[in-house]
Amino acid sequence: MNDIRIEPKLKEKLEAFGLADNNLCFNCGNCTAVCGLTERDLTFPRKGIRHLQLGMSEKVNQSVEPWLCYYCGDCSKTCPREANPAEQMMSLRRYLTSVYDWTGLSFKFYTSKLWELGALLFVGAIVLGLFGLYHATSAEPIIWDLRDGYVHLNSFAPVMYVHYADWVMAGILSFFLLSNLFNMYLTIMRSDKSLKIPLHLYFTKIFSIPLHFATQMRFKKCDNKIGFWFMHLFLMSGYGFMFILVLVLLPWFQIDQGINWTTYPGYYATFALLYGSIYCIIGRLRKKDEVHRYTHPSDWIFLIMLFLTTLTGIMVHVFRYYLLMPAATYYTYAIHLAIAVPMLVVEVPFSKWAHLAFRPFAMYFADIKKAALAIKK
Amino acid sequence: MTGNNNRGVLFKEHSDYQFIDAKVNSNTLVIGGGIAGIQASLEVANAGYQVYLVEKSGTIGGHMAMFDKTFPTLDCAACILTPKMVEVGQNPNIKLMTLSEVKEVRGAPGNFKVKIEMKTRRVDIATCIGCGICTEKCPARAPSEFDAGISQRKAIYIPFPQAVPNKYLVDKDSCTYFKTGKCRVCEKVCPAGSVKLDDKDSEIEIEVGNIIVATGFKPFDPARAEQFGYGRYKNVLAPLQFERLINASGPTAGQIKMQTQDKKGKWVYSTDGNEPESVAIIHCVGSRDHNYNKHCSRVCCMYSLKFAHLIKEKLPNAEVFEYYIDMRAFGKGYEEFYQRIKEEGVHIIRGRTAKVEEAGNRLKIRSEDILAGKLIEQNVDMVILSAGLEPRENAKNIAGMLDVSSDETGWLTEVNDKSAPFVSNRPGIYLAGTCQGPKDIPDSVAQASAAAAVVLQSIGSGKIKKYVADTTATSL
Ligand code: SF4
Ligand code: SF4
Ligand code: SF4
Ligand code: SF4
Repeated sequence: MNDIRIEPKLKEKLEAFGLADNNLCFNCGNCTAVCGLTERDLTFPRKGIRHLQLGMSEKVNQSVEPWLCYYCGDCSKTCPREANPAEQMMSLRRYLTSVYDWTGLSFKFYTSKLWELGALLFVGAIVLGLFGLYHATSAEPIIWDLRDGYVHLNSFAPVMYVHYADWVMAGILSFFLLSNLFNMYLTIMRSDKSLKIPLHLYFTKIFSIPLHFATQMRFKKCDNKIGFWFMHLFLMSGYGFMFILVLVLLPWFQIDQGINWTTYPGYYATFALLYGSIYCIIGRLRKKDEVHRYTHPSDWIFLIMLFLTTLTGIMVHVFRYYLLMPAATYYTYAIHLAIAVPMLVVEVPFSKWAHLAFRPFAMYFADIKKAALAIKK
Repeated sequence: MTGNNNRGVLFKEHSDYQFIDAKVNSNTLVIGGGIAGIQASLEVANAGYQVYLVEKSGTIGGHMAMFDKTFPTLDCAACILTPKMVEVGQNPNIKLMTLSEVKEVRGAPGNFKVKIEMKTRRVDIATCIGCGICTEKCPARAPSEFDAGISQRKAIYIPFPQAVPNKYLVDKDSCTYFKTGKCRVCEKVCPAGSVKLDDKDSEIEIEVGNIIVATGFKPFDPARAEQFGYGRYKNVLAPLQFERLINASGPTAGQIKMQTQDKKGKWVYSTDGNEPESVAIIHCVGSRDHNYNKHCSRVCCMYSLKFAHLIKEKLPNAEVFEYYIDMRAFGKGYEEFYQRIKEEGVHIIRGRTAKVEEAGNRLKIRSEDILAGKLIEQNVDMVILSAGLEPRENAKNIAGMLDVSSDETGWLTEVNDKSAPFVSNRPGIYLAGTCQGPKDIPDSVAQASAAAAVVLQSIGSGKIKKYVADTTATSL
């Protein structure tokens, strides 16, 4: 076995990621035994909490367990010390996101509201700047009236340019997310020398990624949490549809001559996002469910951005097709992008949304490790 | 040398108490007839002074009377307690008042006036010959308090064979006559004419110089911790129920049996039941848990180990699993006892049980073995929930009535935890046993004798000892 190095200040480091009083835990194991997702050889949340108490940063970094927790809150409800194990898991996920992120931005965003807000404003300003730059250099005029009876949004934001910009943004985000994922792989799979992992497992277990991603089926295993699982899946389907509409179908989605077939999945996605974000905001204000009781500043920022994105998207649609107000359409469209783009740029690779990639991969890695352990035995 | 502290109370330097002259009444009131109250009463009475022993239930003996063996020596609890109970019954200096409660305390230390409500027994103690015919004929049943609910008693009954006073009593709440207006069978069959169903409660006032409070504890109700299935699943037992199950005078004559259906189809503990092949004992139920009580109840680790031993003794082939968080074997001989139990082959697992579920006819325990870092699912036949100790429901009222302080949980507080651990903040009122906090039998007895010593000091010297307290001092 390798030597174990101790980082006594680890707990304090995690406090910036929302860790409350880690010392409350007296290691009774109740949380592990209550958790419907824990497995014989893959126990959590107590083990992670213990590693934090001891400052075992390598163990913390290597752990997949925090990603296996879906924050159902059962463990926190019955913890005899009110140590809030579920929220400790959440803090670990935030921290691990910053561990995987080689740019250091994630660390900044999670630990400083100023950095996060600054980055959002900065990217938002770039978006508005691009609009300005386009119209300052382009020969095409903006059509401010209702020529032919409809709003000419494409004269303000030509769909092909927006589409290209989409792809550029997606490319940048993918680059960061994938490189962070690779870093995650190195941290989890390569730093633990004690377990040799046969290469073929990486292929045979690959299906767990799409499976867990699409169904979130582990969530359903949590006791009595079908409602949460469904809500989560609903929200995710909203993201999914929107993602396809914007990245692939934009030339159809953003045509000026009225509603077409892409509008209906658009309505569905909008409804899902609106419902989901309002549900979460109200939940966090009411603090009734365990999952909503503790809110890190990054959670609020994310939820508000998501809500505003959806709201301005709806407003664009209404101004454009129903109220036929060109100027209002153009301005809200610019605002819509100045909220949506920064949200994606900050959240997807560096913050809360990164879990959509890390979670299925963690399950993939966990499956591989389990199989490797079985082979070893 | 004397001086004034900042509250203006006169005190002797280097000492946390002073003596104050008073005309001390030599009678003493002891509230509560458990082992602590019994001990305190005997100490004072044997010094030649009058004691009023007030007990809420129909007999003295308290929880200890229900125990089978005592840890760590495994002496039989009744063998220690019963002679003391008999002594209380026979000592002319002790006026025993059962079914009685203190309602009001007036006056000053040295001269308290105490109002006591005496519920009627509905059986005349003086004439009842204890023949038991009434019980035999009585048609009404209720769960037996003495057997912690795992057997039935009649509405006219004797709490247990060694009860003191060794007389019968009528429980109005379960009596057919009081429910329907018809019956009075006991009255008809009694050869001594002792049954007095129409007797009324009464009230008396007594004068005493000192008061010893020994009101004891309430066992935590394990049904409150729903995850363990108590009251919902068969063969999930509270600790006092298990004490009765393994006691020779219990419903299974001391054999460890699982529940079985009687002729009417009800699930009961009887000699017809099967023996369990495996038993789980779960520590810290309702203790050390912010959802219930934060304190450690001190005795449950040890009685759990005692249970494990008794199971192994009676059923050598049974597997016994103990799930604990920390093992508190603090007393003399306790650690040695713990090691002995381990050698007897009991599986002692570090990790709190999170839940008990029904698995067919068996019970599934879910825990984490935290030393191994593994999740454990274990099927067993019987589960014992080592429930902790709580203050009595009316502890706050008792404290209010006596004008003594209690802590946020409800334990009565001592004036100084080192130098006066059994003295309340009100001069003339002393604490003995578990009303002051969870403790085992030796500690309860020691505290009771200590309280009696200070009472006797007061009677002998004609002075009241007043401690300079940090708690809200009550003036003399
Ligand atoms: S977090 Fe709570 S339930 Fe989990 S081990 Fe610690 S004290 Fe026990
Ligand atoms: S929040 Fe739910 S899923 Fe997460 S560790 Fe606790 S019990 Fe398990
Ligand atoms: S029948 Fe009468 S004398 Fe006999 S036990 Fe009952 S009350 Fe006492
Ligand atoms: S004595 Fe043992 S079982 Fe009882 S509360 Fe304390 S630690 Fe828990």
